[in-house]
Amino acid sequence: MTELIGSVLVLLGAIFHFSAGLGMLRMPDVYTRMQAGTKASTLGNTLVLAGLAMHHPGWSLKLLIIVYFVLMTNPVSSHALARAAHRIRIPMAGDTAIDALRDARPEAGSGT
Amino acid sequence: MIRRLSIIVAIVSFGLALASIVIGYTEQQAPRPLAKSYIRLVPQELGAPNVITGILLTYRAFDTLGEVAVLFMVAVSAGLVLGRERLPRNGPLADRVDEVRPSSEIVQTGTQVLVPLISIFAAYIIMNGHLTAGGGFQGGAVIASGVLLMLLAYPHYQPDPEFLSITESVAGALFILVGLAGLIAAGGFLDNRILPLGQFGAFFSAGAIPVLSALLGIKVGCELSVLLERFRP
Amino acid sequence: MISSIVLTTGLFLILIGLWGMLTHRNILRIIIGFSLMGTGTHIVIVAIGYVTNGTAPIIDQALSLSEAASRAVDPIPSALAVTAIVIGMAVTAVMLAYAIRLYESSKTLSIDAFTESKW
Repeated sequence: MTELIGSVLVLLGAIFHFSAGLGMLRMPDVYTRMQAGTKASTLGNTLVLAGLAMHHPGWSLKLLIIVYFVLMTNPVSSHALARAAHRIRIPMAGDTAIDALRDARPEAGSGT
Repeated sequence: MIRRLSIIVAIVSFGLALASIVIGYTEQQAPRPLAKSYIRLVPQELGAPNVITGILLTYRAFDTLGEVAVLFMVAVSAGLVLGRERLPRNGPLADRVDEVRPSSEIVQTGTQVLVPLISIFAAYIIMNGHLTAGGGFQGGAVIASGVLLMLLAYPHYQPDPEFLSITESVAGALFILVGLAGLIAAGGFLDNRILPLGQFGAFFSAGAIPVLSALLGIKVGCELSVLLERFRP
Repeated sequence: MISSIVLTTGLFLILIGLWGMLTHRNILRIIIGFSLMGTGTHIVIVAIGYVTNGTAPIIDQALSLSEAASRAVDPIPSALAVTAIVIGMAVTAVMLAYAIRLYESSKTLSIDAFTESKW
C-alpha cells in the first residue's frame, strides 16, 4: 500500500518535470521561462524524493537532506540569473505591465 | 535546400549505423574474464573495497596521469586564449559594462550557508574514495564548484593565483614522487603497497590510495579554480 | 532489457547532439550540441558494461566478497567513463574560451560571420 502511494508520488513528480520542460519551450520571454523552469522542477524533485522515501523508509533522513539542498540551491540560482538578465536589459514580453525592480530603484537609473 | 537535404541524409545514415548497435546487442550474463580478474584482484591484493578506484589509481594509473596532463594543458591554453585585456571599452556593449556591483542579499546568504557544506562534502568524497564511490577527480570538481559560488557571490573575491599554482604544482610533484616510491619500495610505478594495507574496509587502509586521492583532489581543485578565474572579465 | 533502454537513450542523445551541431548557427548552441554528444557517449559506455541482475562493483554490506565475482557489473567501462567525463568538461572549457574570443573579434555570435579564409 505504501509502495502504491510512493509510485503515485513519483508519477506526479514526473508530470511536474514534464510541465517544467513544456513551460520552458512555450513561454514568451526569459523571465517567465525561468519561473516555469525553477518552480515546477523544484516541486518535481521534492515529490520524486518523497515517493522514493516511501519505497525505502530507511533512506528517509538522507533524502530529507537532499530535499533541503535542492530547496537551498534552485531558487537562489534562478534569482541570480533573473537579476543578471534584468541588469543587461533583456526585454520583457509585450503584455508586461509592472516592472517592480526598475521601479524600486529609481535613483540608480534604469536596468539596475 | 541542399544544406537541409545533406543534414537529413547525414542524420539518417548515422541513425542507421547506431541502430545496428542496438539490434546486435545482448546483455552479458556474467562478467568478462578481464572484469572478473579485476573484481577478484582489487580487494585481495590492494585491499580496497571500491574496485573502480583501485583500477583508476593502481592498475590503470598511467591513464590517470595522462588525464592530469590533459587538465594542465587545458588550463594553460585557456590562460593563453583569455589572457589579455578584454573589456570592450567602446562598441555596442560599452554601456552595459559598469563598475562591479555587489550581488543581492539572497545570493550572499545562500553562499554563506552553502560554501562550508560544499567544502565538507568535497573532503568527504576525496577521503572516502577507496571505500565507496568517489575519488580524486570527483572531489576536485566539487571544490571547484565551491570556488565558483564564491566568485559569483562576491565579485571582489580574488583567489590568489600564485598560491593556487604553487599548490597545484606541489601536489602534482608529490603524486609523481609517491609513484617513484612505489617503483623503489614495492612492485612498480604507482603501486600502492608502499604503505601498509591495513584492515579491509577501515578508513586508513588500501595502502597509498587515500594519499593519491587527496593529492589528485587538491591538484584538480586548484586547476579548475584557476580555469574559472580566467573566465572573469 | 534495462541496458537496452539505456543504450537506446544514449544513442538517441548522440543523434540529437549531432543534429543540433549541424543545424544551428549560434556558436553557443553548437557547443551545447557538442556537450550533448559527449554525454550520450558516456551513457553508451556505461550501458555496455551491464551484467544481468548485477550491482555496483563496490564491496560493502550489499555485495559480499564471495559473490562479487558473479554479480558485479563490469568496472572497466565505469572507470573509462570517469576519465571521459573530466576530459569532456575540459574540452568544453576550451571551446567556450574560443567562443569568447570570436565574439570579441567580430561582435556577433553567428558562425556565418567567419566565412573568409586565411589565404
